[in-house]
Amino acid sequence: MRRVAVIALNTFREAVRDRVLYNLIVFALLLIGTAILFGEISIGIQSLILINLGLTAITFFGLAIAIFIGIGLVYKEMDKRTLYALLSKPVRRYEFILGKFGGLALTLLVNTAFMTAGFFLALYYVKRSFDAGDPPLLAAIYFIFLQLLLATALALLFSCFSSPALSAAYTLGLFIVGSFAADLKDLADALQAPWLEGMMRAIYYAVPNFSNFNVITTVAHGHPVPAALFWWNTAYAVAYIALVLLAGILIFQNRNLK
Amino acid sequence: MIPARQWLPLVLLVAVIGGAAVVHLQRHIDAASADYRIEAQELYLTSGEWVKRLTLGYDGLAACIYWTRAVQHFGRQHIAGGEYKLLYPLLDITTTLDPELILAYRFGAVFLAEDQPTGAGQPDLAIKLLEKGLRLNPDYWRFWYDIGFVYYRAYKDYDKAAAAFRTGADYPGAGAFMRIMATKIAAEGGSRATARALWQELYNSTDDPTIRASAETHLLGMRFDDEIEYLQGLVDQFIKQTGKPPSSWREVAAAGLVPGRPLDPMGRPYRLKHDGTVLVDPQSRIFTSKLAWRD
Repeated sequence: MRRVAVIALNTFREAVRDRVLYNLIVFALLLIGTAILFGEISIGIQSLILINLGLTAITFFGLAIAIFIGIGLVYKEMDKRTLYALLSKPVRRYEFILGKFGGLALTLLVNTAFMTAGFFLALYYVKRSFDAGDPPLLAAIYFIFLQLLLATALALLFSCFSSPALSAAYTLGLFIVGSFAADLKDLADALQAPWLEGMMRAIYYAVPNFSNFNVITTVAHGHPVPAALFWWNTAYAVAYIALVLLAGILIFQNRNLK
Repeated sequence: MIPARQWLPLVLLVAVIGGAAVVHLQRHIDAASADYRIEAQELYLTSGEWVKRLTLGYDGLAACIYWTRAVQHFGRQHIAGGEYKLLYPLLDITTTLDPELILAYRFGAVFLAEDQPTGAGQPDLAIKLLEKGLRLNPDYWRFWYDIGFVYYRAYKDYDKAAAAFRTGADYPGAGAFMRIMATKIAAEGGSRATARALWQELYNSTDDPTIRASAETHLLGMRFDDEIEYLQGLVDQFIKQTGKPPSSWREVAAAGLVPGRPLDPMGRPYRLKHDGTVLVDPQSRIFTSKLAWRD
């Protein structure tokens, strides 16, 4: 466990050294700009647009980090041959994968925490107060973080056997398909042929259901997130991430590194 | 390595000259293509459902963008005296993307229902939008207020307006004024008092500065009309007494009918035509707004 933590901490340090957290400046400017701009050109949606854009930006900035760092986690170490030095020490391959995942998760946690602080500051600037509709926003951000962890696990999985470009394409593709998951289920319900319906339903359950975690539109209107959804989504994310990491570990374990 | 002091001035000079050239050229292009730049009166995606799918679930943000497009389209057509062709489709997409975006139904209905050139002059679409709002937000009784408002102002159908207010009044939590309005409209129809009550309620029920300003303008317009009617009565009385219209307010004041030159709520003096008609000074802000309830 200590070895996993050391790798995680080094991965986090590396990400910080790569100036990943610079995106926070862009994020802050985007929120301030949006709050001012939409106050001028629209009617009555200043805080609504800030919530929608803020939460969407947290998702996509985080997703960009998860994918573009995630895809290089294993590949870069192999390319620079630092992996060999690392594995020659008493570090197991699964520890390396878990450590890499932990490090990027920590990077995303710090990044999301800063963006959340900036987001609430911007919201306070627009509304001049906080109200009862604001706590559900934290639940939405928690769900976004779960999405980012899931995307990280997928990027890491693809990074174990593919090139960075292909890994990015696969992860992004799965994110898009996973965001359409509800439509896949609707399609399955609409299909007449049982085998087609079964196939569509299988795809629906197989793809990572990113749409589970998107409650932005609902919380933007101040609706609370049901406690059951909170727990089910957490359990789903943990289970799916565990499966993906397990697959990654298996692939990496059996990979010939010579 | 070449020292910075050798290359930096040259780079800065090129950047300044190049930047100025780009700005200059862009201005020429803008001027040359101004006639070709018309607002695209087409929507590439007309189905809200499709737009919803394409947003990957980030439909709340897309709704805000479409709502802003609707506001911008309304503003542009309002200035240009255009046709508001895209207004309803944009509002429809907005409300499909975010069915709970109440202001898109309410303000959208106002934009649609107002007569041209103030609005789109499409009260049928305003009703359609509000009915969609009711379908998707069945507990929101204020849509009945808006439906009643459209029937009252645009159609002058006081029976349907009263019925809408009555239906809304039956909702749990509905404001007591809904039943009062229903009774008032049924009894008095299109009186100014009814119009005033409607605009006052709209003013009280919103925090949005744009809608409040609009309601305020209408309320102010009614105050102008009250005063003009009152002053016209005094001038008519003067004509009855003297047999000729007054040449100035001084004459009316000399007859003891007014204390001096009457000022309108904006602080400008009311005008008096040669035939004794009382008018508002064109400089008064109220002249810039059409008062639909006078129609």
